[in-house]
Amino acid sequence: MDNYSVIGKRIKNRDAVTKVTGKAVFAADIKLKGMLYGKILRSKAAHARILSIDVSEARQLKGVKAVITCEDTPLIKYSIHPLMADKLAFEDKKVRYIGDEIAAVAAVDEATAIKALSLIKVDLEELEGLFDPVEAMKEGAPKIHDHLETNVSKHFKMDCGDIEQGFARSDFIIEKTFTTHAQSHSSIETHACVADCGLDNQVTMWVNTQAPHPLKHRISQVLAIEPEKIRVIPPYIGGGFGSKIDLDTTHIACVLLSKKTGRPVKIINTREEQFTATRMRHPSITELKFGFNHDGTIVAKQARAIIDNGAYNSHGPSVMGYHNVMFSSLYRVENISYEGSLVYTNKNYGGACRGYGDPQATFAQETMMDMIAEKLDMDPIELRLKNSNHPDEKTANAVEITSCGLTETLEAVKKASNWSEKKKTKKKYRGLGVASMIYTGGGSRGSGFNYSGATMKMDASGTIFLNTGATDIGQGSNTTLTMIAAEILGMEPEQIRLITSDTDTTLPCMGTFGSRVTFCAGNAVSQAALNLKEKIIARAADILGEPVVRLEIKARNVCVAQEPEKGIAFSQIGAVSYSQKQEVLTGAGYYDGPEIAKDFDPKSYYAYPGPAMSFATHLAEVEVDPESGRVELINFYAAHDSGKVINPLLAEGQIEGGAVMGFGWALTEELKFENGRILNPNFHDYKLFSIKDIPQITPILVETIDPNGPFGAKGLGECAMVSTAPAILNAICDAVGVRICDLPATSEKVFNHIKLK
Amino acid sequence: MVKKYPVRVNVNGDDYEALVDPRKTLLQFLREDLDLTGTKEGCDEGDCGACSVILNNRVVSSCLVLAVEVDNAVIETIEGVKTGEELHPVQQAFVDSGAIQCGFCTPGMVITTKAMLQEMPNPSTKEVKEYLAGNLCRCTGYVKILDAVENAKEKLKNG
Ligand code: FES
Ligand code: FES
Repeated sequence: MDNYSVIGKRIKNRDAVTKVTGKAVFAADIKLKGMLYGKILRSKAAHARILSIDVSEARQLKGVKAVITCEDTPLIKYSIHPLMADKLAFEDKKVRYIGDEIAAVAAVDEATAIKALSLIKVDLEELEGLFDPVEAMKEGAPKIHDHLETNVSKHFKMDCGDIEQGFARSDFIIEKTFTTHAQSHSSIETHACVADCGLDNQVTMWVNTQAPHPLKHRISQVLAIEPEKIRVIPPYIGGGFGSKIDLDTTHIACVLLSKKTGRPVKIINTREEQFTATRMRHPSITELKFGFNHDGTIVAKQARAIIDNGAYNSHGPSVMGYHNVMFSSLYRVENISYEGSLVYTNKNYGGACRGYGDPQATFAQETMMDMIAEKLDMDPIELRLKNSNHPDEKTANAVEITSCGLTETLEAVKKASNWSEKKKTKKKYRGLGVASMIYTGGGSRGSGFNYSGATMKMDASGTIFLNTGATDIGQGSNTTLTMIAAEILGMEPEQIRLITSDTDTTLPCMGTFGSRVTFCAGNAVSQAALNLKEKIIARAADILGEPVVRLEIKARNVCVAQEPEKGIAFSQIGAVSYSQKQEVLTGAGYYDGPEIAKDFDPKSYYAYPGPAMSFATHLAEVEVDPESGRVELINFYAAHDSGKVINPLLAEGQIEGGAVMGFGWALTEELKFENGRILNPNFHDYKLFSIKDIPQITPILVETIDPNGPFGAKGLGECAMVSTAPAILNAICDAVGVRICDLPATSEKVFNHIKLK
Repeated sequence: MVKKYPVRVNVNGDDYEALVDPRKTLLQFLREDLDLTGTKEGCDEGDCGACSVILNNRVVSSCLVLAVEVDNAVIETIEGVKTGEELHPVQQAFVDSGAIQCGFCTPGMVITTKAMLQEMPNPSTKEVKEYLAGNLCRCTGYVKILDAVENAKEKLKNG
């Protein structure tokens, strides 16, 4: 048993009281003196050449203070990958999806800004739209980006072992195609930004971003503004799920409009804009071919994938990399072949979305695993155990597995759900389904970076401060990071003053994505705290005249071990340091790992540089109504190996929230497109799960100790929804014998499958 | 200029008088004119519940109510729930149960829960689920929100 006083405790979210009283200030709540309201003009055409834009009438409308178009920008393209930059803040020659940005307006109030948009005249020459990636890949298809040869933004092939020999050696082969659909992140808070550039050309932005430090960098690049003139301050953030990582035209428009007018400008997305013009989960088509033996050993696996990019790259290139790496790393398979194409279409474009390509890959692979179990008449859990990953192994695609609790997660859901008994006494229309997953537990250095920094200090009163660039978007990092520091410094987490995210007062952090904050920022914080602890003890040793080795920290006192009365309080140490030694005690920590292997391929992510891998198994129990096809979730078990759990209360919250987001993707949530137009851009027609729809959910924390994580911890946030959909669809198959390979499993689809049986 | 109409309203125990644009929603009026930004806008279409307030003892989506309609009404927003030093039992239950992640849905959830427990002090799980079905949360998966409601029920019974 470990002997921690803070780590592993169910400590309440440190921001909860601020949030529960309505006092937490979110971006949309900010109101500055003289503030103007901005609105963005978006394309109504899916694919068109821009012939002319006339803003003269809009400019003349009373109350309008500025109107901007591409002419007001330096025309620098961006995307998450500098080498694959393809997006302008305002397009100049072409619009490529319904929602593409053309112009922006700042006015004294919102109504005037909306009126002004209607006065902007845009002359477009409509072009043929491409909405299906398979069509877009065909030779002779119209080009969406004129500077490229084809509509394929990225293509790669990765081979490990010998795929043909592998298939030749296999007792059986199964082939199947799987498709997945677009999901909207649907954070309840929409994108919002306030920029104030009134002061000496300084740019100050209050914006709900998951990645404030990279945002500052990108604003600097795209608007050619020196970084020292930019400050990004994230207020409280109402969820993100990946949608709030990118630089967005709303940010650029706010800055430019504020510069033009000398007044602060605020832009808030409507819910419709949130659905139609912020990122979504990439739709995908994955053809799988698996070779396996009588005993269940997977000998060879092959995937050919098409990822529907939409109009621009955003995170597409690395989402496809993750689609490969997570597909290839799950299970011990020697012969692997993956070929992927990321294809432009004239639709809203995909981005980072909880799971980052992994849910698409896992849906295909984990449905295939059940098809194999069925063919072999083998228990699906046994089949997975047979092929399970193990600690301290390298996968065929050269991914280092440090800690691994996959086997334990399989055993945990089996036990908790009473699987064996229920399988034996199966009720009609009831079914059980299982699915496992692997995902990074600490971001990666695939882009070259995976940095997080933290500083700590003790002030003259002995108060301890933690400054970190990590951003809490709701997942609770403010709580977990202060817990890590508090454990090391022998105090309570609430006693630590916390400053986060503000780019002026914190060290850079890549941001909140890739399930990386606990691991990366946690390591930085832990190092900063150890660093400060050493200095506090050294100062105490000096004052007390005791050797350092005899001293320990307890409840903000440094005392001689076994002689607690011989001690000195933090307050005195702080005072002495300031007034007598004239020295501020500080600690700093920085993480940017792991080392990148020599054979790392940045295109396919072969030898993927993730510092630790997390694992999980989900198990669903469903009942299907054969008359309507309606799937009712009865029970859901989610066992996760996220290393050492820093705070079980918050970890359970991630698992429960992720599962429900996965339920939505599996059953009810689908962005419906018609000729590039999204038909259901509202919560009435785009169905999130409500409190009424949820089953009993049982989160299970299977702890491992990762050698490189802070206190052994690994990431969790994204993992929480990755294997949810295949577990449910496998359960549907168990219940009514229909194998659905195209998501989502709507009632109508399930009903039609049952009818065709 | 649009003609404005006088509105007298009591919000969280305070009386306000204002001249209001007839197109303005109650949500906009609370947030912009009264600076009560604790009430959130998630959709502005009546679909998410983030804007819930108690209007004359009934929960409403304030984005679906026009400000001119609330003349002479009594309104409670999230800012009025905690009256003294202590959190209201419903708020305390949300904090204790871990029912708050990003917190954007929280004001609406707390207001709706409070109104529900005023109407029926001992709702069944089914009734709770029905009552809160209009309040969307993308973060928590609702499990700990259900815990919070149970917890609040107990707290109010014993308090
Ligand atoms: S903002 Fe009123 S219901 Fe969503
Ligand atoms: S806590 Fe984020 S939407 Fe509910």
